[in-house]
Amino acid sequence: MGIGKSIVITSGKGGVGKTTTTANIGTGLAMLGYKVVVVDTDIGLRNLDVVMGLENRIVYDIVDVVEGNCRLKQGLIKDKRYESLYLLPAAQTKDKTAVSPEQMVELVSKLREDFDYIIIDSPAGIEQGFKNSIAGADEAYIVTTPEISAVRDADRVIGILEANGINEPKLIINRIRHEMVKRGDMMNVDDIVDILAIDLLGIIPDDESIVISTNKGEPVVAEEKPLAAKAYRNICNRIVGKEVELLNLETNEGKLSKIIKLLFNK
Amino acid sequence: MKESLVNFKGINGNIYINIKGGEFQQIIEELDKKLGETIEFFKGANILGIKCEELPEEEIEKIADFIKSKYQLNLLEILEAEDKRDKKTFSGIHEGMTKFINATVRSGQVIEYGGNIVIIGDVNPGALIKARGNIVVLGSLKGVAHAGIDGNNDAIVAAYDLQPMQLRIGSVISRKPDENVVISGMPEIARVSNGEVIIEPYLPRK
Repeated sequence: MGIGKSIVITSGKGGVGKTTTTANIGTGLAMLGYKVVVVDTDIGLRNLDVVMGLENRIVYDIVDVVEGNCRLKQGLIKDKRYESLYLLPAAQTKDKTAVSPEQMVELVSKLREDFDYIIIDSPAGIEQGFKNSIAGADEAYIVTTPEISAVRDADRVIGILEANGINEPKLIINRIRHEMVKRGDMMNVDDIVDILAIDLLGIIPDDESIVISTNKGEPVVAEEKPLAAKAYRNICNRIVGKEVELLNLETNEGKLSKIIKLLFNK
Repeated sequence: MKESLVNFKGINGNIYINIKGGEFQQIIEELDKKLGETIEFFKGANILGIKCEELPEEEIEKIADFIKSKYQLNLLEILEAEDKRDKKTFSGIHEGMTKFINATVRSGQVIEYGGNIVIIGDVNPGALIKARGNIVVLGSLKGVAHAGIDGNNDAIVAAYDLQPMQLRIGSVISRKPDENVVISGMPEIARVSNGEVIIEPYLPRK
């Protein structure tokens, strides 16, 4: 039997990178050798399968599993690259009411028997789908971007999580643009942590490679070079209990690129 | 002309009664009137079955009893007739009832039909088409198509631009390869051969 820890990735606001974060943390933990299942609870608007490049393998989904149309093992899709990584996709043709919070609790407790980490991708919003996603979770990671609206929603969600007995959620700040922060045009990490007053799990720079890898259906974390990949690897190491220093985004502007910029006067 | 609730169809010398939805009493009245006018014509014919999607089974049975008792028509068992008809219609790929969809089928939408389905438009990724017969798409097929859902491996899927996420024909499932495939740029047809889905152009000499 594994560690059996369930973690919900949530944000309140849409489009801040919940699904990308779920795919990368799931893949990153599998790369560290853990047995991981990523669960998409965004019924009706599923995306996790697309980001992980597994859409063409879906036969059964989470609704089929909870309704007993298939066995749990049949619903789990094995990742194409990592042996210990599985996906439980959401249904696309049903709506959020197809699953109840009680069914989610039961589902997660079954997954606990076989997996070290159960990473649950939450839908945007705070309605039924969100309630389903947090129902079986031991811990919550809040994803936000350095925008006031995203931070406001994150604050609201932290309150709801605490009211539901999920205390001490951790924060992931996504899509930071170092040069904008330096100019004072973007909220910095300390501002956000100050407002939300929760532990910071990691920061992820805004990186073109995320868009490229998302469109390819291969999470960026598996790549060697991109800074965002390193950021996700750091987060995964922290999840499994290693001490890793916060990523220095300054290194983003390496010496070479500075010289190139000077040369071409950009 | 007012659209009638009750229609008669001849199949191989037998009669099929097709009932559109409506009030039970209205249907009985209309049936009574029509049969009354034409009973001479129907004498000696078998009623193959009653088809009505919107009425509950017991009401269909009542209608059947009514026809039997009042007009002494020979009525084959309703359900049995249904089975016979289905087997006949969908044992191959050559005929059957067909549903036409004149729209783009989008992500999350499901088109399910007990016959053939023709889509005049595209089928986007995330959409699902399920037919007991064949599926023909006059556009791009990028979603999931399942032809021959009750196990008919002779069914086919044809599309102007065939790039499905997944193809299921009868009991056989195949999926799009992970690596990029060269798009043929011509209409293609998928069918099952030796337990595998094969895809070939359907205009081979062009």
